[in-house]
Amino acid sequence: MIKHDVVVIGGGLAGMRAAVEAAERGADVAIVSKMHPVRSHSGAAQGGINAALGNRDEDTPEAHAFDTAKGSDYLGDQDCIEAMCSDAPREIIWLEHRGCIFSRLPDGRIAQRPFGGAGSPRTCYSADVTGLVILHTLWEQLERFNVKVYEEYFCTALCVEDGIGTGVVAYNMRNGELELINAKATIFATGGCGRMYAKTTNGYASTADGLGIAFRAGIPIMDMEFVQFHPTSLKENGVLLSEAARGEGAYLLNSNGERFMFKYAPNKGELASRDVVSRAEWTEILEGRGVDGCVLLDLRHLGREKILERLPQIRELALDATGKDAIDDPIPILPGMHYTMGGIETDIDGATRIPGVYAAGECAAPSVHGANRLGGNSLLETIVFGARSARHACDYIKKVGNIKPSERTLQAEKDRLNKWLSKDTGTRAPVARAAMQNVMSENVFIFRNEGQLTKAVDQLLDIRRRFDEETYVMDKSKTFNTDLVNTMETDFLIDAAMCVANGALARKESRGAQARTDYPERDDDNWMVHTLAWRQEGQNPKLDYSRKVTITKWQPQVRSY
Amino acid sequence: MANIKLDIFRFDEAVDTVPHRDVVAVDIPETTTVLDALEVAKSEVDGSISFRRSCRSAICGSCSMNINGVTGLACKTPCNSVMDESGTIKIDPMPNFQPMRDLVVHMDPFWDKYTRLKPYLQPADKDSDHQTERRVSPDDMKKLVDVANCVMCATCYALCPVVSVDPSFAGPASIAYAYRFIEDVRDSKKEERLAQINEDYLWLCAHCYACSYCPKHVDPHDRIIDVKRATVNSRVMIKERGPQHALVVNRTIKKTGMLAETEVIQGTIGRFNIKGLLAVAPLGLRMLSKGKMPPPFLKPIPKVDEVKTIYDTLEVPVT
Repeated sequence: MIKHDVVVIGGGLAGMRAAVEAAERGADVAIVSKMHPVRSHSGAAQGGINAALGNRDEDTPEAHAFDTAKGSDYLGDQDCIEAMCSDAPREIIWLEHRGCIFSRLPDGRIAQRPFGGAGSPRTCYSADVTGLVILHTLWEQLERFNVKVYEEYFCTALCVEDGIGTGVVAYNMRNGELELINAKATIFATGGCGRMYAKTTNGYASTADGLGIAFRAGIPIMDMEFVQFHPTSLKENGVLLSEAARGEGAYLLNSNGERFMFKYAPNKGELASRDVVSRAEWTEILEGRGVDGCVLLDLRHLGREKILERLPQIRELALDATGKDAIDDPIPILPGMHYTMGGIETDIDGATRIPGVYAAGECAAPSVHGANRLGGNSLLETIVFGARSARHACDYIKKVGNIKPSERTLQAEKDRLNKWLSKDTGTRAPVARAAMQNVMSENVFIFRNEGQLTKAVDQLLDIRRRFDEETYVMDKSKTFNTDLVNTMETDFLIDAAMCVANGALARKESRGAQARTDYPERDDDNWMVHTLAWRQEGQNPKLDYSRKVTITKWQPQVRSY
Repeated sequence: MANIKLDIFRFDEAVDTVPHRDVVAVDIPETTTVLDALEVAKSEVDGSISFRRSCRSAICGSCSMNINGVTGLACKTPCNSVMDESGTIKIDPMPNFQPMRDLVVHMDPFWDKYTRLKPYLQPADKDSDHQTERRVSPDDMKKLVDVANCVMCATCYALCPVVSVDPSFAGPASIAYAYRFIEDVRDSKKEERLAQINEDYLWLCAHCYACSYCPKHVDPHDRIIDVKRATVNSRVMIKERGPQHALVVNRTIKKTGMLAETEVIQGTIGRFNIKGLLAVAPLGLRMLSKGKMPPPFLKPIPKVDEVKTIYDTLEVPVT
């Protein structure tokens, strides 16, 4: 049996930051990842990472925390928000000292750019490849500390004995064997679940793995109805064009050539928070002022030099997908599924309700983003809560004696996989996946109402039941069986989608990214609570609202930009 | 919509002794990328087709493969740019790697090349000494950002003919990554890094320019030149055989307008390195017996002064 003190599931920013922190503290730590760490989708993050360094204008962690709380539409837990924003400058310096390649100001300090919903230019960046350079810096630190990486191991289940986490079961993609991994502390850092939708900025691998695993182990999933639709994704393939474009001054135009954002956000215009901009774009399109179902992102006035220096990647992505060069033409864009504010419920240290089990990054919800995340805060969350969860885990493992996962979970996983592999007929996972994606894209989009959401909930439950009964895996090979892996991913994605749709139907208000046309107002009297979803086998999740929003400094106010 | 036929290399290392090919037809718009075409084929026709993929926007580096004989990222290659008149696209795994399953290859030798470099910043001071960031000029950072665009897709490594004959060669990608540290003003191990990369056969690069094709415009070939230049400019490394060879080649050309091979051999190995010279003696004797031995001294070409002027204008180091 593989055995380590701390096992991190996922090799993106949160996972690697956690592993490096544990390694620096002398813990025996390993990463289990379905991909090589540098392949992680964190690398696709473009625009930057927020920290109140104050290198351009005066700034404080408190101002950052206020912007984040307001951006969350007051659903974020303010103790977690304050912790994140006060850790932020130190974490950026930590990265810089380990070689991270940040763009610089003329005096040599780290450059910062304006981002949506922020009162100060506090987004540190590296041209438009910020996620990639941080990903590489952290991977370099894994090499430095010789951290063991179980590469192309797909984690399938969490082991819990006597109420505490004892490790995981993982599927070795190279030889097709399921293995038991013993860990005193397990940290989930498995990223997002964009693939519940048909069009998403997320890659093929963003499939709710950790979320589904935790859910099945009895950990509640929090606030999943808050799905961020990024205002600027390409119509052709959903690929992201960074908010950095607007941060650098790009315009959003409708079919009249009008900068329509000032109608919706008189002060901030294009740099309002993402939920506001996406709703504005969709309203323009619905009211007939779109261009072929899109609005336009116009960078032309920035000039060739600035585009090539600061936004080279998005220019090339747009060129590849549309044939249009952003230097000469506006780019057609529309809102696309980008991020889930919700995730595995954790506390301020990334700890879940099961001792020894942690979560960090997009798959987790300590609730710093509440109902809407600000751009530049997701990379920050991965780094801060990756480190925090590892710190807590390293203290925790000192208090735990020898624990062992039982063969029972391993056997259950073998049975689950064999059920699919032993059948030669039935329905393949891509069919269920496409059905789920259609339901989500059509009924759980930017504007929602009871009728559509009820339909979504019913259809998803049907998809869940049919998946459980009919699924089979076509590929029977033991070598790199991605058909089997995709099936497990789809299994987890359906759970995540059910949490989103059920949470959205039950929350009878509009807040942040949840816009109910039948309940258009925010309802602070009844809904300053988090949605907790608990799994029920073969049924809709049980919802519970026992966790109230933590307020430290800022009472809810009218939110305008 | 077009009917696209994907002619795919099929292999399973656990059961197959030889590979075979399958042709899978899919109806998709012809502007679809090769990656999305494979995804449709896998989802709708044959679930056993295996390939790596993640971001589908040329940033994760997973999907490099050989498409109609040219290696590149499948997510950055539209079908209509590569299909023939019948709509067929031939897809193989990256060359220079051992196939594992279909288009999936064993990547470990590639990653090992990075590990050998100690690929992490090694500053002179301790991390804990600082409360703020180190100051670095925008230009010094910009040089690194251009290299930082590398997504480690291994396209250049797969294209490298030197790797194909000598797998111990570091290969273009890891040399470009070494450059990222050698040129980082925050790093303190420049000489050690140059020594390591010289040991990893930097000078085996044949400058064929195959790796100039880079999906992310990192241009590893130019970075190899940069690292060679840094080696020649290093007081410590200059004594090594690689830089000595480069210098003596230039010296003889500047002096005579031609490559003086006898002098190059002596200059590379060292005039007083008796053991080294004896090691190449059998080669010399064979050349002599076949009448291929170059003359020990060369008469300069007419107008050799013009050659000297070129060298002086370009400021190429020769000593």
